[in-house]
Amino acid sequence: MIENEIYRDVAKEDFRAECARLFSGGNGRLRLMFAADLRETGEGFCVYTVFSHAQEDRFEILRLKGIGGEGGKPEFPSITPEVPAAHWYERQIADMFGLVPSGHPDLHPLVLHGLYPPDVYPLRRDISSEAISRHLALENEDLSPFMEVKGEGIYEIPVGPVHAGIIEPGHFRFSAVGETIYYLDARLFYTHKGAEKHFERIGFKEGVKLSERISGVSSFAHSAAYCMALERMSGTALPARASAIRTLLLEMERLYNHIGDIGNMCAGTGFAVGYARGASLKERIMALNHQLTGSRYLRGVNTPGGVLVDALQDPAATLREIEEITEEYKSFISFLTSSVSHVERLENAGVLSRAIALGLGATGIAARASGLNDDLRTSHPHFYYGQLVFETHTRMKGDVFARMMLRADEVGCSIAIIRSILHKANGKRIEGNISDGGEWEAAANSQALGYVEGPRGSVFYFVKSGANGAPLRVKPRAASFCNWPLMPFAVHGNIVPDFPLINKSFNLSYSGSDA
Amino acid sequence: MIERIFYNIIRKKQALPRKKLPAAAPDALLLPGKKEKEVFGGAFTRSIRIRQVDAGSCNACEWECTALTNPVYDIQRFGIDFVASPRHADILLVTGPASAAMANALKKTWLATPDPKIVIACGDCARDGGIYKGSYAVTGGVDKVVPVDAFIPGCPPKPADITANIMQIVKLLSKIK
Ligand code: SF4
Repeated sequence: MIENEIYRDVAKEDFRAECARLFSGGNGRLRLMFAADLRETGEGFCVYTVFSHAQEDRFEILRLKGIGGEGGKPEFPSITPEVPAAHWYERQIADMFGLVPSGHPDLHPLVLHGLYPPDVYPLRRDISSEAISRHLALENEDLSPFMEVKGEGIYEIPVGPVHAGIIEPGHFRFSAVGETIYYLDARLFYTHKGAEKHFERIGFKEGVKLSERISGVSSFAHSAAYCMALERMSGTALPARASAIRTLLLEMERLYNHIGDIGNMCAGTGFAVGYARGASLKERIMALNHQLTGSRYLRGVNTPGGVLVDALQDPAATLREIEEITEEYKSFISFLTSSVSHVERLENAGVLSRAIALGLGATGIAARASGLNDDLRTSHPHFYYGQLVFETHTRMKGDVFARMMLRADEVGCSIAIIRSILHKANGKRIEGNISDGGEWEAAANSQALGYVEGPRGSVFYFVKSGANGAPLRVKPRAASFCNWPLMPFAVHGNIVPDFPLINKSFNLSYSGSDA
Repeated sequence: MIERIFYNIIRKKQALPRKKLPAAAPDALLLPGKKEKEVFGGAFTRSIRIRQVDAGSCNACEWECTALTNPVYDIQRFGIDFVASPRHADILLVTGPASAAMANALKKTWLATPDPKIVIACGDCARDGGIYKGSYAVTGGVDKVVPVDAFIPGCPPKPADITANIMQIVKLLSKIK
């Protein structure tokens, strides 16, 4: 049994009320919601919800099983009316499994873009990838309507999916009055690559590589969460040194993302020098990543049961480079905050209220910049975080400036964590092997969660194996999946030219969310 | 304020050394049958414009393309730059396994790019789907959607490799000595 995972089957009548109870009170968080096709084990279609308390290390996992069994309709009670954070998850379940969340206030397709025949549900286990491919109609245009805003002087601006810069694809439909955005309808999932089904196809071990490629700039967070899930599933212990290395590299990933994002915001205000300096600094951290692990994106490090690369071999040299980066960063951030015109653009732009962030289940920077104190590193300590003393940060205002300054606060925290791990390693206080040596084997009929606090927020994985130890279900959940639905609220009332800036202040991953 | 900006630009310590280009991979970059493409003879010399298209990448390939314009790689020094519209482009630099949902948009972008044009598949996914090969939601390589001239290997290819390979590809295809 995994200590902090409590599984419970609930009856259909109680499902909504139980979920509402766990979500209420301001500290309940919906971490993950997904369905699984367990018809081969006789449990039918199941819907799982994973809740946890923002200050207690305990996950309550509710399961509604036997949906659509014995000729019943494939339906389950929607929890969105009580738990708005479930909004996208339920639409995803409807698209991918054909299970209808009855009572969902806004049910329309999310993932599949009209390329698939209406009765093909990719995540059902009785249809193969090949069979789905044969059904695809690539030339179909996605004709499902956008949210239409009616009224005098309202006009629409369509943008994407191919954008002007080097950015991931997505379609944005602005309804504007003059320059002011009244409503934004974002159509995403252009980079949907069928990762969830692909995990089942390639098996748990190959899955590590796939988890590194769900979202490139969170490669390490994803593979660490995935490996953690595999380790918990099979009861594999992680050696202390491997746990310290994972923590070190998670912080390196946060560091290059946060500093890169602070720099990228300058592109949103046309501040070329700031942008160039941020990009150079990020480049320097990427080079250090490469030196430590052989990969700029920290790939090829994680493996179930440990790590493959000893990134703590020369802590003294790494420390020297970190000190130089820190110096350069300090001068960079004071340069930015002393630019009145830059700061002026950031303040009061793209305000996300605490109530919306809480209701829609925001995570990471988006949540903490709007006053929600929620950081898995302290609430659900994983890897080496339990052995370290550090401070997490929140900001109250929820605007672009708050998100930038929160990143700056967190850069300080990451540097402190990196330093303390390196000092310990230098003093020979983190010794031992970097993996448990044995070849990892999947346990049959078991399940577990894996989670980390990544650069964009919490990353979750759920894994479940069948009787032969092969994957029955692998569910990745990127931080950006929780945060994309916030965007229409954050841009409401702002001018269209500020959209790129607001978008950059969240810097969400399309690929992670689209999976 | 002004002094501050110039102070930071001028101060040498701030600037990282610009990367030297590694040796590019040779003709292997070109896909079979693409070598004798007369249409490119002399068409591209120094001023090359690229439109980057993300056809479902995991975004690591994207960020490496973004890095090409940072002060360290500074691809503009070779007369190469990224443009906002396919109408202005000589090269389409396509990343990702060509996800099913991007197939239409990629095709349209290709049609909008004036001839003669070079299409480069950037990254292992773009060649044949990479790790996503066999998944229902990807077409399995950019050449399943539009004709591809050359391929840059790597997952993701490093920025310096992307630059060196683009230059090599242009040279091979336009027979520049
Ligand atoms: S080639 Fe690798 S880095 Fe590039 S998009 Fe594919 S998985 Fe990502």
